[in-house]
Amino acid sequence: MSIVIAEDLFKSYGKVVAVDGLFLRVNEGSVVGLMGPNGAGKTTTIKMILGLMKPDRGHVKLLGQDPWDNPEIRSQTGVVYEKPFFPASEKVLDYLERVCRIFGVSESRALEVLKLVNLDEAFDRTIKALSAGMLQKFAIAHAIIHEPKFVIADEITSNLDPKARSELLDLIDQLHEDQKVTFLLSSHILPELSKVCDAVVVLNKGKVYASGNLSELYDEFVARTIRILTDKPRELVETLRKKLSYVEKADADSQGISIKILKEGTDTVYEDISKLARECEAKILGIETESASLEELYKQVVDSEAK
Amino acid sequence: MGKGTAFLEILSSSLHGDYKFPILEFLAFLFLLSSFVFAGFGGFGSTGVPEEYYVFFMTNSLMGLPLFILAMLLLRNIASGIGNDIEKGTIQTILAYPLRRRSILTAKLLSSFGVAIFLFLGIQISALCTLAPEMVASNLLVVLLTYMANLSFALFIASIALLMTLLLRKGSVGVVIGIMVFFLFSILTSLVSFWAHATNSILPMQLYSLVNPSFAINFYYSSLQPQVQVFWTPSFTEALLYVGAGYALTTFILFLSYFYFCRRLNV
Repeated sequence: MSIVIAEDLFKSYGKVVAVDGLFLRVNEGSVVGLMGPNGAGKTTTIKMILGLMKPDRGHVKLLGQDPWDNPEIRSQTGVVYEKPFFPASEKVLDYLERVCRIFGVSESRALEVLKLVNLDEAFDRTIKALSAGMLQKFAIAHAIIHEPKFVIADEITSNLDPKARSELLDLIDQLHEDQKVTFLLSSHILPELSKVCDAVVVLNKGKVYASGNLSELYDEFVARTIRILTDKPRELVETLRKKLSYVEKADADSQGISIKILKEGTDTVYEDISKLARECEAKILGIETESASLEELYKQVVDSEAK
Repeated sequence: MGKGTAFLEILSSSLHGDYKFPILEFLAFLFLLSSFVFAGFGGFGSTGVPEEYYVFFMTNSLMGLPLFILAMLLLRNIASGIGNDIEKGTIQTILAYPLRRRSILTAKLLSSFGVAIFLFLGIQISALCTLAPEMVASNLLVVLLTYMANLSFALFIASIALLMTLLLRKGSVGVVIGIMVFFLFSILTSLVSFWAHATNSILPMQLYSLVNPSFAINFYYSSLQPQVQVFWTPSFTEALLYVGAGYALTTFILFLSYFYFCRRLNV
């Protein structure tokens, strides 16, 4: 079942096009990353999905319904904003108990979620007294208090230090594993998406450049880097450069060779290396495939679109 | 627990934001003080003047400064409540709750308008009952009509400020527009009279009374004095119609605000 279906979304602010013909699908039980630089249209997309903003064109279905002014959807959806907006002078536990009453869940759930996000010790503080990291945890507690099926989080880690960031991602992972919550996470900080996401959607200039699960996208867009350990790196690197058209880049050092290959060489590269090594009488001591980073994927996707 | 509880929680949260200590206490004091200080009994007991006129005069004089304070309070509540929520983004959190937008706006308006008006009327009526209980008891309709006519104008100003706040997403701008409209209409009161006399036509007065029905009510009760000649003598029914028109206009602006908030407001 698809939790989110967005079709042909278009939104502009005056002459500036924020989202341009966007199609998006988030399946139940997945953690999908919405990836893109600042100004790519992530927040606008999220606002349209949440029904906070009407698209100029196209339509969104959230949990099978139109999200605009739809209380039924609200009780199954949680939201974490980049800059959480809460009444600053209210106390942490008091506010969450109020939210429990709003959603019609037991007030004891307030302390339960505070414990879940490791914020139970701050229950008596006012919201304005929370640090940035604590505030994001509080926002997550606020978002999951009514046990939603789906949580949207917009740039939630952008203002956090690495430790707080890592803790938050662990928490998301835990909620996904234990409570089967579906997540849509937007971020421009790429390593964190690769840590928790099953699939990513790459946005730039309001358009989806690529989408799919990470391994598929790596296969499609990212030139693989292979490290070959050999006794004759200089000879072998020359042969590889000359004879393999799919080798994008090849560099030798004293212990081996690093080559970057294009997608078309993926299936035959190991066989070809062995064959060429035999030709130049080089001994292969080992071959390693280096994992591509999400940054590299993003760069490749955007570059390929630009071409 | 249901939608009712959610509504009450939003209302309680709005009240908490709109009337932090000691705002409400200070306003109550101001309303009380100004109600008694400005109460007037001019001409009371003169022969031939009907009691209705005195009750109207007293009620009107009691309301002068408190009504101005009320109008400013309504504008301030719109700016600090609804306006701030939109500007700071708190409305995004509120819209994530399982309530329809119209219920959210209603809760906000009950807090911004309802409590302020309740406080104003409560203190005013208490003051009237203390000052002249028998006169008030025997002229309830006059008191009611005078309040309705004056409140209509304050609500009209507040509803314009609300609509502007929603359209411009800036509470402060909405309030400035509200204050400008308030003073513009105060100036218009004199201009309309001048215009009517200059053209020898009551049309400007009639038009102005549609927005500010207290103008027509004032003429109606003033015309009850036997020795006084007034330029315009609207009938009681006519005066009532102006009050109705004033509320209809305010209701229309509030309807536009609801429509925009529920159907158009992107946050």
